[in-house]
Amino acid sequence: MTFTKTTGLLRTGTAKALLLAGASALAFASFAGTGLAADLTLTYMASQDWVKDAEQALAKKFEEQTGIAVDFQIIPSDQYFNVLQTKLNSGEGPDLFGGQSGVTDLKLQYNVEKNAVDLSGEPWASRQDPLVSAQATVNGKLYGLTYWDVLGNSWVLNYNKKIFADNGLEVPTTYDAFKATCQALLDAGIQPIYEPVADGWHHVLWFPELGPRYEEVAPGLADLLNANEAKFEGNETMLAAVSQLNELYELGCMGQNALADVFTDSTKVIAGGQAAMTLNNTGFAALTENDYPEMKASDIGVFVMPLADNQMLNLNPAGPTHFIYSGSPNIEQAKQFLAFLAQPENVQYFVENTPAAMTLPFEGAPSKFAPEVQALFDAHKDARGTVYQTAVNYVNPQWMDIGKDLTAMFTDAIQPEDVLKNIDKRRADLAKAAKDPAWQ
Amino acid sequence: MRSRGIYPFYFIIAVLVLYLTFFIIPSLSGIYFSFTDWSSYSDEINFIGFENFEKILSPDENYLGYIWNTFLFTFWTIILKTVFGLALALLLNEGVKRFVNGYRVLIYLPVVLPYLVVALIFRSILHPGNGLLNTFLHDIGLGALALPWLIDPRIAMYSVIGVDSWKGIGYIMVILLAGLQTIPKDYYEAAQIDGANAWHRFRYITIPMLMPALMIVTVLNVLYGLRVFDIIYALTNGGPGYATEVLSTEIFKAFSKGQFGLGTAVASILFVILVIAGYFVIRLMERQPDRQ
Repeated sequence: MTFTKTTGLLRTGTAKALLLAGASALAFASFAGTGLAADLTLTYMASQDWVKDAEQALAKKFEEQTGIAVDFQIIPSDQYFNVLQTKLNSGEGPDLFGGQSGVTDLKLQYNVEKNAVDLSGEPWASRQDPLVSAQATVNGKLYGLTYWDVLGNSWVLNYNKKIFADNGLEVPTTYDAFKATCQALLDAGIQPIYEPVADGWHHVLWFPELGPRYEEVAPGLADLLNANEAKFEGNETMLAAVSQLNELYELGCMGQNALADVFTDSTKVIAGGQAAMTLNNTGFAALTENDYPEMKASDIGVFVMPLADNQMLNLNPAGPTHFIYSGSPNIEQAKQFLAFLAQPENVQYFVENTPAAMTLPFEGAPSKFAPEVQALFDAHKDARGTVYQTAVNYVNPQWMDIGKDLTAMFTDAIQPEDVLKNIDKRRADLAKAAKDPAWQ
Repeated sequence: MRSRGIYPFYFIIAVLVLYLTFFIIPSLSGIYFSFTDWSSYSDEINFIGFENFEKILSPDENYLGYIWNTFLFTFWTIILKTVFGLALALLLNEGVKRFVNGYRVLIYLPVVLPYLVVALIFRSILHPGNGLLNTFLHDIGLGALALPWLIDPRIAMYSVIGVDSWKGIGYIMVILLAGLQTIPKDYYEAAQIDGANAWHRFRYITIPMLMPALMIVTVLNVLYGLRVFDIIYALTNGGPGYATEVLSTEIFKAFSKGQFGLGTAVASILFVILVIAGYFVIRLMERQPDRQ
């Protein structure tokens, strides 16, 4: 026992010494690099992969201009929430911390009303995309700067333009037109849609991603669902979407082996012309060209999912977001850093120097989208909304269960009404477990 | 002399403490938690009586189907593994004369493969479009037999049973082979002299003499079948839909969703089923006449 304790102490001591040495070396390197003694150092704690190289470069620039250094504390993603929670709960939070936006997460995971600073009055607040800001807002107060390309990840139907042209087909804008398109492709011996059901998560996208359409038909529905004053069961638009998805499966539009198909084959199938369409994100065309250079990105077009006659663009505006810790002694300096990041020239620098980011959610931000995708975004500038896995509580945690229900529906084990009924049932279970007052 | 053969009680205390700490107390607390609403969403744990069990046994939920699937899996894997294991053991005990050890190793090989590897291989082999099995069936003109093995809810469970039996037969065969080799050859010679044919020798000598080994494999198969998880999780993940969901996969899912109270309630039901099944199988074993 004594041996273990001593070893433990030795280990802790060694670890501390190493940390100290590392920190000193970093501090030395920082001084040596800039040749300027920092007046103050802000600490910013974030999960692995949330801080891009371009942001670190911007922090250096910020330090040169203001003398305020930013110390990035990057924590492995599987440990991040535990470390952050411990720090916040013990009152020793960093000056800035990263967190996943989304109203439910802000309340349940981060308790931002207690732990974060109200940023509603910041100069960049009005320039941040309103849909994105809504996910970082609790009770009318904006708490976060979302410095992440949340808009470039919309799930849309990507189609092979050549196949469409050869068969005299046009982009469908209603469900009936979509069904007719699929039928025409089937008649021509081409599989209309590649739908990888085997992974269990992909085919779910067809339902909650239509959130903007549900909201368009019944404005305020998400709020009513969150207040437990509305249900999925009995909603005609939702029932239409699920029933139509089932009809497409039964007509054979997804091929005979959809239940065994996997997502990783998507680019191969579309590049090989084995299917005409697939539901994928807006970067799919570029990815396909990257994987199969013979298929050009410009040969792939995009359109929004037309189930339930949807013509709204689905956005998931939640993503890694910067918060300022309410207990920080350096709140003003931290605000200064966020304002610096949001300056147009710095937003431009970030987008240009971050391969994974197509844009940032700020007014006037540059865009690297393919012309097709940009055209889609432009055309839907006033016709877009938030997907239901983000807008409605307790939908995202049951994603895989919805997948199972949809598969059961495809195999006639349950009916479309049951899919909606089960979602309500699981939401009630989750809300009850979370002691949600709306369900008490 | 007697006292030399009996160890003092305190010898057992250390083991008892360990057993209590790591088996009895967790098991009992598991049963206690099945009566609570313990979840990852709240720090509070409240006693809710039989609510979790009511939910599990309610016809509105799928749990009764999962219990049925568990029994179906157990029943068919016992039959298949025992019948084919016995057939192979007989073949390798007497029938095959050359390369016997080579065959034994080959048949035992699937047992040592990890479930995940087996499942990945069979997911590829049983793929309805480009899987090895269906391609082979098409090539030899038996395209009508090429079925959607893992994606048709009517046959998916039987495909899983088939794969699991393929993997488990070697293990059963080894136990039965060991049992066969303990049967004295004289009995067969005497029976042959009395005019008994091969079937009679099998029915009246091999089977009765092999009964203890058969009972052991049945107990092992029952306990394995009722607790099955790995092969189903890796091969179909309970799908398509809920067609191959069993109790253990559901326990895992309840826990991964943070519904700890519900998960322990399903686990408690599985525990009760295992205790009842174990009791009857052991009683059956006790009723077996002495081989001698």
